[in-house]
Amino acid sequence: MQQLINKVKELIKNKEVDVVIGWGRGSLPFSATPIFVETEEDAGKLIFDESCRNNLTTYLTKDKRRISKEYKKIGIVVKGCDSRSVVLYAVENQIKRENVILIGVPCNGVIEKKKISQLVEGKEILDFQIDGDKIIIKGRNFEQTHSIQEVLCDSCLTCQYPDAPEHDYFIGTPRKEVNVPEAYKAVDEFGNKSAEERWAYIQEEYSKCIRCYACRNVCPSCYCNECFVDQNDPQWIGKTPEVTDSIIFHLIRNLHIAGRCVDCGACVSACPVDLDLRIMSKKVEKEIKDRFDYTAGTDINEKPAMASYCENEKQDFIMG
Amino acid sequence: MIKIKKTELNKFIDFLMKDYDVYSPADVGKKAAFKKINSAFEIRHDLTNTHLSPKDVFFPQSEVIFKYSEDGLNVPNRDEKPIAVWGMRNCDTSSLMMLNKVFGEAHQMPDKEMYKDPYWKMKYDNCLIFNQACNEPLSTCFCNWFDGSPFAKKGSDVFVVDTGDHYILEGISDKGKTFLTNYKKGEGTTKDDEEKIAELKKTAESYMPDVVKIKPLYDKMNKIWDEPIWEEISAKCINCGACTFVCPTCHCFDVSDEGKGKKGKRIRLWDSCMFQIFTREASGHNPRGLSTQRVRQRIMHKYNYFMDNYEQHLCTGCGRCVQVCPVNLDIREVIKQILDYKSIKNEDN
Repeated sequence: MQQLINKVKELIKNKEVDVVIGWGRGSLPFSATPIFVETEEDAGKLIFDESCRNNLTTYLTKDKRRISKEYKKIGIVVKGCDSRSVVLYAVENQIKRENVILIGVPCNGVIEKKKISQLVEGKEILDFQIDGDKIIIKGRNFEQTHSIQEVLCDSCLTCQYPDAPEHDYFIGTPRKEVNVPEAYKAVDEFGNKSAEERWAYIQEEYSKCIRCYACRNVCPSCYCNECFVDQNDPQWIGKTPEVTDSIIFHLIRNLHIAGRCVDCGACVSACPVDLDLRIMSKKVEKEIKDRFDYTAGTDINEKPAMASYCENEKQDFIMG
Repeated sequence: MIKIKKTELNKFIDFLMKDYDVYSPADVGKKAAFKKINSAFEIRHDLTNTHLSPKDVFFPQSEVIFKYSEDGLNVPNRDEKPIAVWGMRNCDTSSLMMLNKVFGEAHQMPDKEMYKDPYWKMKYDNCLIFNQACNEPLSTCFCNWFDGSPFAKKGSDVFVVDTGDHYILEGISDKGKTFLTNYKKGEGTTKDDEEKIAELKKTAESYMPDVVKIKPLYDKMNKIWDEPIWEEISAKCINCGACTFVCPTCHCFDVSDEGKGKKGKRIRLWDSCMFQIFTREASGHNPRGLSTQRVRQRIMHKYNYFMDNYEQHLCTGCGRCVQVCPVNLDIREVIKQILDYKSIKNEDN
């Protein structure tokens, strides 16, 4: 991705940025890892392809807030979902928009390694290559070819904003807004099940949670200085991986990111025990869209759904 | 040394179950972990390393230390059978030996004996470990950096090799030898079997990465505690606890009381040095409030502090943390980075 490298070199040379957060090649097969580029030389390490999974904007907040303090001007390479997180930070007054330089990249979706693992039934993947719309997966004694659609992240399959809606520079050609007619298909199907079935599914899923909080920590929208699960006076929630406590953790997290989740899917990819974390967050996203006609991170001038009030909003959840 | 047909593994496991609660790699949701099984058919044979480590068998993520009520304290006693674990790997058995130093042996002070953990001991002391050779080590395996190897027998009671149609079982400890003698249905092994094992061992070893000489790490780390390298290493860490929870050797824990009214329980549960709250003091002060400080703690504990106490590294090279890290902070790279680092204070390294 020479264009990206050249652009970043130029930005560093002109002192438009002090650092650029982007992706470099990772240590695992076809993996990407976050890198912090301060010199023109290091800009050469930047990559962008289907392996660039992480939402790098998470480094602007939380423990990493110091990065915002250390550097005056931060450049970030952003996919569509990532740029929406920056909009979220701006409308929630977490950053000053003018201090962040957004370098948009054209995103065709990123790969969910967990899906590849399932396709090869858990066998170890030593390498994979992308060839047009096909992916070739290689292991010690096997080679399999699949359509790339089979291994893209679920959030990419329903993504309506593949290009960074908010950007200062854009590398390559934007795909423009994509129409996804069935964005909420999975949510609707789940919603049509009986309450007992839904409850059984949620219990089964969250009983496997090991409470490592990887989902929370990779989440760009989860940036509380102190998460409620970490408070111990008063203690809101039991600390063991007991299913009732794990459910409380996940449900409260879902409510905290209502109207704030940009559906980047970072939580899904980060989960070491492969929980279905997206079914609930997508449900909440749909509710917010239906009730307040609001989609997080798409308009930098709009007040967040949960921080504004209009008289004509649906109120049936209060009125019954 | 005996051999059993794979098709007869269920009989062997049934025999084992007479005297033991048997744990083995098995499905837990979409992942595999060591779990108590009721029959050999639950065992997952297709994995080299389970996704979650076996430390949970002996040191559960949450464990009741005692229950209390108006009638007094009730300390749970283990009245079940002793534990046998099938399908451990060398990295896993080594990790249990490390944990046993902390919980089971405790380090001896010159004039007094340190506390030994009864909850650990009642599970670990009578256990029977079946340590299986790794015919196909993963690309993330690096046990050979820490004196391990795919066919190492250290820490086994019984050493198991999968030769295709058979398992070959070799008694290593007295406990293991006695158990195999009592199992009357095994076949004897032949010279062919030994050749087969040697061949498998050679192939497995060829899959291992080049050995990184780890010895200088300890001294290097003594010198660089306050140097900027830690900021470089930790920059991308997001401080979740995934690495510490899948790690077979991480053993920091918290104690929490869960009660209602006049009864409740005291629980020991895994904690993680990656969490901000881990070291936060009652005053609100946090000596490791920054991400960099916490990452340094994790790496120092593994390759330096544990050396001070037990003269070994607290890492077996199982590679689980490498596999799960959401930002691909690869501990193998960290080790190399530290070894290559030139201290700004000491010109001689």
